[in-house]
Amino acid sequence: MKRRELFTDFATRSGFVPHRASPGARRYTNALLRTHENEEVRFYDDLIRGRQCVINFMYAECHGACPRVTATMLKAYEALKDRMGRDLFFYSLTVKPETDTPASLKEFAEMHKANLPGWTFLTGDPHDMDTLRIRLLRMNHPGIDFDFATHAGMLRIINDATNTWAMAQAFASIRTILQHIEWADPPKSFEQRFKENKELQAEIYREVKVYGYRKIC
Amino acid sequence: MSGPRDKKKRPNESKAKNEKEFQLKRRTMLKLGAAAGAASVLAPTILTSRKALGQTPPTEPVICAVEPDNSPPHVPFRDNFTVPFPGIPTDLDPAPQEVANTGAGEAARANHQRWAEFQPDVEYHLIAAPSTHRFHADFQPSYVWAWNNQIPGPTILNAYGHPSVVRFRNNLPNQQNHTGFGRSEITIHLHNGHHGSESDGFAGDFFGTGLWKDNLYSNIYAGYDAFPPDGDDLEAMHSFWYHDHREAFTAMNNYLGLNGMYFVYDQKDPGHELNASGSLRLPNYYGITDIPLILTDKIFCATANGRTELYQEIGNAGPPLFEVGAPGGDKWVVNGKIQPKMTVRRRKYRFRVLNSGPAKAQWDLSLIKPDGTVGTLKVVATDANFLEHPVDVNSTTANGGGVGGALRVSVAERYDFIIDFGLFPAGSKLYLRENTAQFVGNPSPDPLPPGLAIENVVMQFNVVNKESWFPPDSPPVPGTLTTYPTQPATQREFTWQFTRDPAVPPGPLPGDTEAARLFKVNELPFDRNRIDHCVLQGSTEEWLLDNNSATSGGPSAWAHPVHIHFEEFRVLRRWVRGPSGQAGDNIEIPVPPLQAGRKDVMKLNAGDRALIKMQFRDYLGRYLIHCHNMNHEDAFMMARWDIVATPQQLCDGREEIIKNRREAGVDIAAGLPTNKDGKKEGLA
Repeated sequence: MKRRELFTDFATRSGFVPHRASPGARRYTNALLRTHENEEVRFYDDLIRGRQCVINFMYAECHGACPRVTATMLKAYEALKDRMGRDLFFYSLTVKPETDTPASLKEFAEMHKANLPGWTFLTGDPHDMDTLRIRLLRMNHPGIDFDFATHAGMLRIINDATNTWAMAQAFASIRTILQHIEWADPPKSFEQRFKENKELQAEIYREVKVYGYRKIC
Repeated sequence: MSGPRDKKKRPNESKAKNEKEFQLKRRTMLKLGAAAGAASVLAPTILTSRKALGQTPPTEPVICAVEPDNSPPHVPFRDNFTVPFPGIPTDLDPAPQEVANTGAGEAARANHQRWAEFQPDVEYHLIAAPSTHRFHADFQPSYVWAWNNQIPGPTILNAYGHPSVVRFRNNLPNQQNHTGFGRSEITIHLHNGHHGSESDGFAGDFFGTGLWKDNLYSNIYAGYDAFPPDGDDLEAMHSFWYHDHREAFTAMNNYLGLNGMYFVYDQKDPGHELNASGSLRLPNYYGITDIPLILTDKIFCATANGRTELYQEIGNAGPPLFEVGAPGGDKWVVNGKIQPKMTVRRRKYRFRVLNSGPAKAQWDLSLIKPDGTVGTLKVVATDANFLEHPVDVNSTTANGGGVGGALRVSVAERYDFIIDFGLFPAGSKLYLRENTAQFVGNPSPDPLPPGLAIENVVMQFNVVNKESWFPPDSPPVPGTLTTYPTQPATQREFTWQFTRDPAVPPGPLPGDTEAARLFKVNELPFDRNRIDHCVLQGSTEEWLLDNNSATSGGPSAWAHPVHIHFEEFRVLRRWVRGPSGQAGDNIEIPVPPLQAGRKDVMKLNAGDRALIKMQFRDYLGRYLIHCHNMNHEDAFMMARWDIVATPQQLCDGREEIIKNRREAGVDIAAGLPTNKDGKKEGLA
């Protein structure tokens, strides 16, 4: 109990306040994981609670989709550099914890130039990793859910502060992925949206002049 | 901007137009009068809109404590069948205008195309807001998102030649204040309206809480320019539906209730059954003899805190219903009620059935007679279009495409069928049966026909004698309902592949075969700013819709109800998977009778292909082709195509497509159309 209160206190002070309807560890679990820097973390309390994050699944030996997904995330990282590690986090969870030690994850991160602040590679107990994969990316299809490879191309976007869930295909264009991440941002005030709406209208006029219809959104 | 409304001061309006308008307004009022009369006669049948007045917003949904094995039990046939109350025309303030009225809170959009020609005769105001709805008398109210507090939304009744503006206002809770699933940004598609892309509910054109948007529905026949003065009346469509199309959140928002129907009447289908020139005289009084059947499947939590909530797993994840492999809900809901009973008179009725999704792949509907045998559904229209000749669907015709000869209704498909209850004596009870079972948890209060299980029943029909005040039976259904418009020669061919398959080719190292199996169209996931095909306005194209693509890396295992916006298509050829079971192996079959007419949704089972032909007339802009299983659609199985005005733009569009495909590292030729000479455009 005391530990919980301490955590709440800490979370509030650091600005990571979960949404009042957040499912918390009940959904996300508080599985004990190990980062590529060989630190122990609790999945919900240390990684999700009150934060906005992008999660993918990978494994270090993967030569198929994982490198490409990692490269895509790296591009997204560059575009969001100012926020990374402050109010936005990337988590890459291994699907092969039996072979992926913190050291091999670190090697993978360095190989892909992804050993960056705000981007954590995680391994843990195989049962926990399976549970997390199913909790985050379940498709409700036994044949698919037990084939870990099929989740390689999906990014789960969570903002625990707004209780928002979104998903993006990792092979979508960078602008699409950035849009999906942005949709989990804290909502803007009506005044702000009203103002942006007017600015968008001016852009649309310019497009319509060129193309005859609204082309870009 | 929000000054008093004065239509006479608008530009581009002649005296004649004003007179016409007066008549139209008058006609609208008469029509409304008829509907109101119907409402008073059939008070228990039509859903009241009493709730719409002065209701305080409900508290946010109560989240289910545990994942239920099934929804709570219910007693069948406790509720009366209801029909959505018709949309009531209003005078919008501020008045609709060509240019988006952003100063008054309208969402940014391009100017309404052809505004001067199609000034609205009728205006409606639909407000999306949180509400509560009781799906069954045994249940407490459930938290929903509803149009004007109605589940399903109000049915808008319009007529060809009378353009309408529907103002969609977003009063949904700000995302921060919302505890459940659903995304409070909306964009409304009228499925399958023929209008400008700024009114088409393009998936990326969503707008947030507090804003609103006017969609201009010209209610013209497609081919307006080619067939003066009113367009080609053979292009008539009658049963539309409007629904949210928010990119990546369509399934959730529709599941919460953001959809409804939209009928458009014309001479052939005038909204009454009187002897009028050109009328088919089908059962046609809305809510009385012409009944929408809006089907959906849901899961509920056990009642807690005075609510029987739509089940949501936890937080914004939503119920398992939104997972692409989900089997769907365990309660069959028709017009917002679970297993209702409907009193029908001994005469003909027309039902306009819609599978509003989000993901129940199909309803296999059949009429069960009191003796347990299957009755006849006389299908007169597919999607929104009359068939040339009605098609009987029953256990012996095998016309319906469903199990046991049932009528198979895939997501977003509409079928109009006639049931003649005059064939049954008063006191008979008939049942609409769906082939899969729902969870009921109680025995039927009425003895069921032999062989029918209560779990399969969608609704009950109680036949009574026709009272003297009830409209007399309509004449027999004509043997010929329409002729199909002649389509011009094809100018280009294009292929749309629907795949969920390896996106990365297997490489030389171990582990290389692990690939991301994602939903894609032509090898690419949806990007609202990427054009995947460009079409010249006024042209005619043949499109191959392919769910058995040889280039996809493996045989398809998924069914996709493919929907194309903007105009209706005709199916020219149909294939199913060949005996080898391999991708690319197809056997041609005759076009099934219910797919031989005009349609806008083409259900492709795993391994199916269809060659369709359609035209692109009257408007410009961005439109969509997508899988209408809303979970697949939200998982990026959608593509954008544009209608452009000049060959130069077509050429530019093609260059852009080549560039985009090159950058994405996918087959360039597969994304290019084939021109008249049989050559891939833009390739040497």
